[in-house]
Amino acid sequence: MTTDRNVKLTVPALPEYVDLVRLTLYGVATKMKFTFEDIEDMKVAVSEACNNAVLHAYGGDQGEIEVQFNSSVDELSITVRDYGRAFRIAESNETPSLHGKSIDEIQSGGLGLYLMQALMDNVVVHQDGGTVVTLTKKRMKSEETA
Amino acid sequence: MPNNKFTLRTENREGQTVVFLSGEFDLEVATQMRTTMEPLIELTDRRLTLNLHDLKYIDSTGIGILISIVKARHARSASFDVEHVPTHILKLFDMTGVTPFLAKAE
Repeated sequence: MTTDRNVKLTVPALPEYVDLVRLTLYGVATKMKFTFEDIEDMKVAVSEACNNAVLHAYGGDQGEIEVQFNSSVDELSITVRDYGRAFRIAESNETPSLHGKSIDEIQSGGLGLYLMQALMDNVVVHQDGGTVVTLTKKRMKSEETA
Repeated sequence: MPNNKFTLRTENREGQTVVFLSGEFDLEVATQMRTTMEPLIELTDRRLTLNLHDLKYIDSTGIGILISIVKARHARSASFDVEHVPTHILKLFDMTGVTPFLAKAE
């Protein structure tokens, strides 16, 4: 009953392929009976991980993004991997969100990692010959969980 | 992708420009969005409004562009607001803290 199931997808590291990753995520998460809200959360989080790879990993050269969806009984784990140059992914603990800031202080960048962490139950970033971002979402037994 | 294709439609009303966004506002369409908005940002004697009723998806790329518009309009002492924000998109606005800067977000 605890058999993990894997779906793997490799796409070019280009903006127009990130929606393919979202489509696949939608299919996998729907099979697992995640709620609409959880699926929307994961769509954004996985796109943020892909966006980082598209924008920073290959410096304009051709490259690929490998996405692996690993589903178990109670959670979905999504691994987004590139083989490009490791890019700095905001190591600081400073919250880049706009809460409590004035219009002159707010900036338009840097929200990607913040959103991943806010939307998923767990986010792990590993950099070694590229970047691996692992995003995990637990499946709630009840939708009533606030 | 059916129904999710990003489209922009601009409607001129008296003293106001309303831009209707639909589909998925992501990295792929960032340039298209910036190109459309740039001249509208300069029309400082008109209200500028984004209608998000038919927007299906946004991520930090789209939110970042909205923040750029907020700042550009503020620098020009011109108004900018967002209306008809779908619930799941408002959640992202609230989460990132951008909501108070989008005057009419509801």
